[in-house]
Amino acid sequence: MRSGSGTDPAIGRSERDSAALWVENLDKVYADGTHALRGMSLHIPAGSFFGLLGPNGSGKSTLIGTVAGLVRAPAGHVFIFGHDVVAQAPQARLKVGVAPQDVHLDRFLSVREVLTYHGRYFGMAAPDVGHRAEELLEVFDLTGKADTRPNRLSGGMRRRLLIARALMHRPRLLVLDEPTAGVDLELRRELWTYLRRLHQHEKTTVILTTHYLEEAHELCERVAFIREGQLIAEGSVDQLEARYGASDLEGAYLTAMH
Amino acid sequence: MATLAATRELRLIQRRGTRALASREMRRVLSLWTQTLLPPVLTGAIFLAVFGGALGSQLRTVAGVEYLRFILPGLLVLTVAGQAFANNSTSVFQAKNEGYIEDVLSSPMRPWQLLIAYMSGGLLRGWLAALVLWLGAWPFAGAVQQPALVVLALALTGLIFAVLGVITGMWADSFDQHAFIASVLITPLALVAGVFYSAERLGQPWRTLTRFDPIYYLVDATRHGYAGVHETPTWAGLTIAAVVAAGVFAAAVELLRRGWRLKA
Repeated sequence: MRSGSGTDPAIGRSERDSAALWVENLDKVYADGTHALRGMSLHIPAGSFFGLLGPNGSGKSTLIGTVAGLVRAPAGHVFIFGHDVVAQAPQARLKVGVAPQDVHLDRFLSVREVLTYHGRYFGMAAPDVGHRAEELLEVFDLTGKADTRPNRLSGGMRRRLLIARALMHRPRLLVLDEPTAGVDLELRRELWTYLRRLHQHEKTTVILTTHYLEEAHELCERVAFIREGQLIAEGSVDQLEARYGASDLEGAYLTAMH
Repeated sequence: MATLAATRELRLIQRRGTRALASREMRRVLSLWTQTLLPPVLTGAIFLAVFGGALGSQLRTVAGVEYLRFILPGLLVLTVAGQAFANNSTSVFQAKNEGYIEDVLSSPMRPWQLLIAYMSGGLLRGWLAALVLWLGAWPFAGAVQQPALVVLALALTGLIFAVLGVITGMWADSFDQHAFIASVLITPLALVAGVFYSAERLGQPWRTLTRFDPIYYLVDATRHGYAGVHETPTWAGLTIAAVVAAGVFAAAVELLRRGWRLKA
């Protein structure tokens, strides 16, 4: 999906506008001098289930932060369904739901309110907010905890709530930053089932970062390897295995990273 | 036409978001009333009882006004300023420190809408505490001479300190930093703002020092509206206060737009 520099601008714009995520020459240096992203370009088509794999500090979370509008002034361009995340930030943000790696939930709100307030922050109308919250509470098995404060939930429940919150405003692009970290096997399988259904039935584009390679293998149609802020390879699992002469994704990943 | 409809839809979405965040901030103030509303009302009442009641019986009048009536406008200004500042600095700092501000920062709201929503909690807290204090003191302090002037002065006080609270919450990285601003800036300014005394009757350098305190002009304007006495040109003071309010508001919007100390 990477475009060459000689692409016809009109065709390039059309591709860019139809892509779920279009990242071009993204560069980010933090105040402490850390060069998190080094001219990264990445194009993720609408409707795909896409995996981002890389070691800690490879730039995955910075990329996700940029998509969510939580990273200051990166150089380069990021478009979400054709909307520039800087120049058209409100339009772009409406299209994205992000479940971050770290669990940060408003301690003044109940579990139900975490969902309803998020929906309202994203402009959902009052009747729709209530219905959608109840629907997600049921899907994520949180109905019994709806009136509980998030700090009284178990780690797995908080993780589920975070994903439910990201889905609340029905984003077309769902970004999950290590959603199953610290989650037991049973819940992980349940989440896989839900994410597959979401992707297939609601045509939601999903971007997943994970350190569990079997998870990426199980869920992702395409996978990108990221190292030191750069995209080093991208393709289907079969393509990556063939490219690195490996028998599985883990082998391809380890070869690519060394 | 499609673009116009999309713009209208986006504005509706952003208005809903702003109302939601404002309601969250105001709900926080009301649900935590024993921490947000009761203490400033009690503190104000104690000041009135000690200075207005006990000390006031000896001082009788200041600038031709009974002492309780003289200090009440200043106490209302201090209540609005202190509570608007404390509420917003705490709420924004907590949201930033615990990370849940990210849910708001990644929403489609504009920076000025975020600011208005965050200001609303502090404004409610400051104005409500001042209202309760005034209602309690009213039978002893007498009627307000120019209500519109009092409302205007307290409105500007609230706006300025609500914005300063938001900026402080954004700036602070720890509870110590957060408390530092209140201790070294807000409390000293409040104490030398001529709440308990007439600056005209002070010796130097205190008289000049008082005139450098921006809160002094807000206190003086409120006192003008409440008791009919003042030491400075009221409308000049209020005009400057309005300019300051607009200036700090614009600065805070720009800081939010840049994600100053909120975004990596």
